[in-house]
Amino acid sequence: MPDDRELKQTGNSARLVADRFPGTAALDELVTAVETEPMGADDVLAKKPLGLLFWLAVGWVGLIVILAIIANLLPLPNPDFQNYNALNAPPSIHHLLGTDDLGRDLLSRVIYGARVSLIVGFVSVAIGLLVGGTLGLISGYKGGVLDVSLNAGAFVLLAFPAIVAVIAIVAFWGQTLWKITLILGVAVIPLLYRVVRASSLSFSNRDFVIAAKTMGASTSRIIFREILPNVIPVAVTFGLLTVAGVIVIEGSLAFLGLSVPLPTPSWGNIIEEGASNGNLQTNPYIMLWPVITMFLLLLSINLIGDRLRQRFDIRESLI
Amino acid sequence: MVKYFFRRLIQLAVVAFIISVLIFLLVHLLPGNPATVILGPNDTAHNQAVLFKQLGLNKPLFQQYLTWLGSVFHGNFGQSYLNHESVTHIIATGWPIDLELIIISQVVAFAVAIPLALFTSRRPNRPIDNVSTTGTFGLLALPPFVIAPVMVAVFAVSLHWFPATGYVPFTQAPATNLHDMILPSLAITAGSIAVYYRLFRSDLISTLQEDFITMARSKGMSTRWIMWRHAFRPSSFSLLAAAGVNIGALIGGLFIVEYLFAINGLGYSLVLAVQQRDYLVVQGISLVIAIVYVLLQFLIDFIFTMVDPRVTRE
Amino acid sequence: MALGAGSSSLLAGCSSSPSGSSSTTTAGGAQPGVGTGSPVRGGALTIGTIAEIDGFYPPSNHWDTNGFLYANTVFDPLMAVAADGTTQPYLCKSMTSNSTFDVWTMTLRPNIKFHDGSHLTSTVVQANFTALKASALTGPALKQLASVTAPDSMTVVYTLTGPNPTFPSGLTTQVGYVVAESMIQASANTTGTLVPVGTGPFVYDTWQQNDFFTATRNPNYWQNGFPYLDSITFKPIPDTSARESTLRSGGVDMIESALPTTITNFSGSGGTGYQLVDSRTGVIGEPTFAFIMLNTIVPPTDDLSIRQALAKGMNQKEVQTIIGGPPAQPANGIFLPSSPYYKDPDYPTFDPAGATALVNAYKAKHGTPTLNLLTIPDPVEIKVVQAVQQMWEQVGFSVTVSEVEQAEIIDDFVFGKFQAVTSYQFGAVNPDLNYVWWSTTTISPLGSIGLNFTRLDDPELETAMLEGRHTTDQAVRVAAYQKVNDRLAKDLPYLWLEQYLFSEVATPRVQNFNNLVLPNGMKGYSFDEGIFFPHQTWLAAG
Repeated sequence: MPDDRELKQTGNSARLVADRFPGTAALDELVTAVETEPMGADDVLAKKPLGLLFWLAVGWVGLIVILAIIANLLPLPNPDFQNYNALNAPPSIHHLLGTDDLGRDLLSRVIYGARVSLIVGFVSVAIGLLVGGTLGLISGYKGGVLDVSLNAGAFVLLAFPAIVAVIAIVAFWGQTLWKITLILGVAVIPLLYRVVRASSLSFSNRDFVIAAKTMGASTSRIIFREILPNVIPVAVTFGLLTVAGVIVIEGSLAFLGLSVPLPTPSWGNIIEEGASNGNLQTNPYIMLWPVITMFLLLLSINLIGDRLRQRFDIRESLI
Repeated sequence: MVKYFFRRLIQLAVVAFIISVLIFLLVHLLPGNPATVILGPNDTAHNQAVLFKQLGLNKPLFQQYLTWLGSVFHGNFGQSYLNHESVTHIIATGWPIDLELIIISQVVAFAVAIPLALFTSRRPNRPIDNVSTTGTFGLLALPPFVIAPVMVAVFAVSLHWFPATGYVPFTQAPATNLHDMILPSLAITAGSIAVYYRLFRSDLISTLQEDFITMARSKGMSTRWIMWRHAFRPSSFSLLAAAGVNIGALIGGLFIVEYLFAINGLGYSLVLAVQQRDYLVVQGISLVIAIVYVLLQFLIDFIFTMVDPRVTRE
Repeated sequence: MALGAGSSSLLAGCSSSPSGSSSTTTAGGAQPGVGTGSPVRGGALTIGTIAEIDGFYPPSNHWDTNGFLYANTVFDPLMAVAADGTTQPYLCKSMTSNSTFDVWTMTLRPNIKFHDGSHLTSTVVQANFTALKASALTGPALKQLASVTAPDSMTVVYTLTGPNPTFPSGLTTQVGYVVAESMIQASANTTGTLVPVGTGPFVYDTWQQNDFFTATRNPNYWQNGFPYLDSITFKPIPDTSARESTLRSGGVDMIESALPTTITNFSGSGGTGYQLVDSRTGVIGEPTFAFIMLNTIVPPTDDLSIRQALAKGMNQKEVQTIIGGPPAQPANGIFLPSSPYYKDPDYPTFDPAGATALVNAYKAKHGTPTLNLLTIPDPVEIKVVQAVQQMWEQVGFSVTVSEVEQAEIIDDFVFGKFQAVTSYQFGAVNPDLNYVWWSTTTISPLGSIGLNFTRLDDPELETAMLEGRHTTDQAVRVAAYQKVNDRLAKDLPYLWLEQYLFSEVATPRVQNFNNLVLPNGMKGYSFDEGIFFPHQTWLAAG
């Protein structure tokens, strides 16, 4: 048990002491405040079924994922095919969502674009959780030099103006879907590290962990059998929110031309296309469809994350 | 206390140093260089060599870095290779813009989130609460690059209520300045509203469950008075934490709004400088941004240790 | 924008139509940009520009269309182009040559002062040229200038390395702008490029980079009675839609644009109440063109049949539709069909079947030709390359598209690190100004810097260009440049897309911005592809 940290518990919420290293205190407060939802109305809700809204959200996410996966099998026109006789066509039987300013079918582009957003979002967060989450899990429990140095590293990474790095790395290394996913994955590692670490830290001081230690359990057993299962809900919740965040970042990068290369569609670059060249006046559909789809997806992800958080926060029942 | 500040200063210096090295290496990794940008198509081998020498780009990397570091300590961040504007001047004119964007957007965010949370936390899971929750999640799902073009199309182009671009310094014309900054600030505010609202609401609910609240109620105090006096203060800490994290994240993301509204803040200047391989500008602005971020974190941390009696320092 | 020498006052240019006319007329039925009523003194004009400039010092800054716009407020060029295409004295009083066109004598006007009070003398002009020659940027353009001397305070003598009847037209470009001696001296320090000190109609007031630039009326301007305006302000607004919105919402009085869609947006009902001037007509010399540049020494574009296939496979009309804007003239060379220099150069037309045949023949020997098409991250260019990619793939090429930043793409040009890349260039009052891009003397091997980006090695083209430069016979000149155009159509280093259209749009208050009258009374070339001289412009009351 790290001896230079102290826990004080008041009521339902655990507040952490400001660490030797700055920055984490603020976030840790945030994490514990959010994650330790009280025995109150929300908990009452948690005992109820998850709710219609939740399942609608799951349904939408599921729909998008499935469509993205089976896109090849669907009777969609080639998303890159430009039909010069149908530039900026409104929705019709031939083009259910209309076409863009190069005559490409918008329904097809939005569905294929979903692939990019989903892959960039989920895989980058997976990388973040795998690397950052594991490090945070271990670091939160073990503390000591490892903890201090990882905290320092995370802090430096977070203080770094990421946009410079992204521009530089893309210019130097190249601009493919997987490279961008990897870059963003690395970028979210410090975020997920801190979140998982804070959670791991708060559990490390709980009775059941101390009990396990007293009984002579090995470090890895404690970490993976006792702490990890309790940390997963937090990791999943924040992971989901981070997915939403990364999908948005991909959109911003598309505006600088740093997303997937043309003519491959991504929601970000379709939106960018829709906002440029005066398209918003001549053909608002270009921007409309990816915005609606992305909006609903992000909304769904947030709702799911929120509900899950409410559900899993009854830790008392696990002990 | 002095030890506390001293240690923080060391940490700031270390972080700033590491970041400056990383940025320096990164920009020099980029293909292309300032000489080609300056010379444009009127390039010859001879001219590139001459220009390189003039700009000091032919020296070994670590020497260039140390020269730069040395001049930074003298307060000289160098000049832009392209137009010779001093980097300090670029930073001096840029940071008020970012500051203003952040202040306005966060003030609006608090002004919306706090009352709403105060209201709904007393009526959890009633329709108004659910609508607010979903609504604020909706705001999170509308990033600046979506909001901005739409707002410009509606409010600037169609209605002519606000300008599509442009900026006038506050000291020059406060009214025009605020008027011009409304659309850009609103583009950023949406996400912040959602974050603050969710957080404040959940923390309020949590606090409202606590014993001392029940006791106050049993003493016959009105709910509104209780909320204000006893619930607000403790719950505002998590809000403060969130503000720190949120603003820290915003600093890095301002460039997109600045780009969309053609505002010359640090974010936009930084992106432009990277694109133009204006090394010294990139290094200068990055360093400043990093330092600001670190100081912000320190500040939030410090406030926390001071104001929340339940938190102790080691 | 190319720098270099150009046509002399003896030779006529090639424009016969009024400069920069448009299709929109103002409410009173007047010509756009031509003032009606009497000039009004006073007022502050605000113009939304395409980009920020990088500085005001000719030896070290890079002036494109935008740059000249700024320059014309605080400086004056030594020579200017007249509406008939000839080069006329502007800041200088006269310019004559000897019989062999290798010594030029310039007479200055007396009593012209710079904004800092110093006088315009031949020593100052000489100092300007010394700085220009020494600069890495402008030096190459003045290679032909052997020496500049100042025999007396009002005379400057230019001695060239060889005969060039077209030398004075170079003095209408960046190297012809004269700055005060104090500015030359200050150029060693930081502020050298920031504070312009010239003879121009407006005096520098404030410059907030990427924000705005303001200059105020010069009460001692040498052209008596001018300028009318009290001040002029430029606001760079890179995004064209935003710039147009700002004009419509009253944030600026006038805008410049390099996108053809601006012309359509301000024609017809969208243009009611606005004055539109654009470069569809009235361009003197060679207009600026948008094109795709091909590298003639790397595979597969080193193979002429491949270049022909690329040309035949591209549906130019469709690309022009995609670019948007008003219907464009076919682009098949450096001259427009409306130019007096024009003769049909037999440039390949859209012929997908022919293209496919050529590709198949190539495939049989070398396999599928693959190509990486580069472009800068400009929204219109991006559309164009995606369309062109599909067109070329349909005739059998395998094409990828890459966005490359401006800083990097210039590198790719000069070092030859490309197969195909979009670009725009070649706007020149005198075709000789484009010599450096096509000459056999400016070719460098791959990996070395060379101004002949396409590495086109065509001795016949070289001969024709030199002939055009040296002859004084207009008929011979025309024939020579038609030959140049023929060679370009044969060698196909460029796949032409469209004339690059510049436009100005102004509110009705802005009067007389397109009606330049030169000091000697001749009508001037007012709208030089986006540039104008602001001293004769006024703001109507109200």
